[in-house]
Amino acid sequence: MTCQEAIALLADYLEAELGAALVADLEQHLRGCAPCVAYLNTYRKTRELGAEVGRVEMPAEMRERLRRLLLQGLQKGAPPVDN
Amino acid sequence: MDSTSDDALLARLARGEASAVETLMERYAGRCYRLAFGVVRNAADAEEIVQDVFLNILRKHASFEGRAALGSWIYRITVNTALNKRRGKRNELETPLEDYLPAFKADGHREGDRAVLVADWSQSPDHELAAAEIRRLVQEGIELLAPPYRAILVMRDVEELSNEETAEALGETVAAVKSRLHRARMALREYLTRRLGAGGPA
Repeated sequence: MTCQEAIALLADYLEAELGAALVADLEQHLRGCAPCVAYLNTYRKTRELGAEVGRVEMPAEMRERLRRLLLQGLQKGAPPVDN
Repeated sequence: MDSTSDDALLARLARGEASAVETLMERYAGRCYRLAFGVVRNAADAEEIVQDVFLNILRKHASFEGRAALGSWIYRITVNTALNKRRGKRNELETPLEDYLPAFKADGHREGDRAVLVADWSQSPDHELAAAEIRRLVQEGIELLAPPYRAILVMRDVEELSNEETAEALGETVAAVKSRLHRARMALREYLTRRLGAGGPA
């Protein structure tokens, strides 16, 4: 397996979606390839960091504005459906 | 999400029950905001999108009952609204993704300086960068990605939707979602490596 082939498999590898034979090939490649090990580790870390940074909360005052807007909409009754 | 309880929720909205608004928001506002914000990257635009989506739910609740799952409809309309909003702002500079993908030699080995290729900042305490500084770099990296890639990153890696659910929301194939997700992560990884890998942020 080449580095190019190994890197193409990383997403599926991390999700345990690869067949046993491909996993064995990939892991064999990783045992002999420091750049691909570094790539795998930093790829995995990137996924974690992206997830952490993406976990934003809706600010409380925004939530309050949304609540008011929806309650108003509810009181007016549902406007005509236009589809 | 339990579609039975969504049906009950929609019925309560149809009856005009104020408490249903609370439940609706509790269940979906956070997810809708995270996805919208993840694509447009600013709070004011994300708020407009969330408001649009939720007013739409009030308007169209009758058409969901017993049909599509409310959760997947919300993801679909949120991501489409967010991508449309960004389409009006094309003047922003988006770096070609290709500049951040790994390069290979003809024999399939990586191209590049070996010190960079083996740089592993994933557990390195070397830079001792403040968490806030790392967050900033990650945000910068995400902003380099074109909006459709950001959308997939949020849906898959933040919201932890499956490839299938993400594909359905975007009207794409599963293969396209998987390929874009991988490219997005690789590009973000490369950006972080360039900023962190060679001995700390430039």
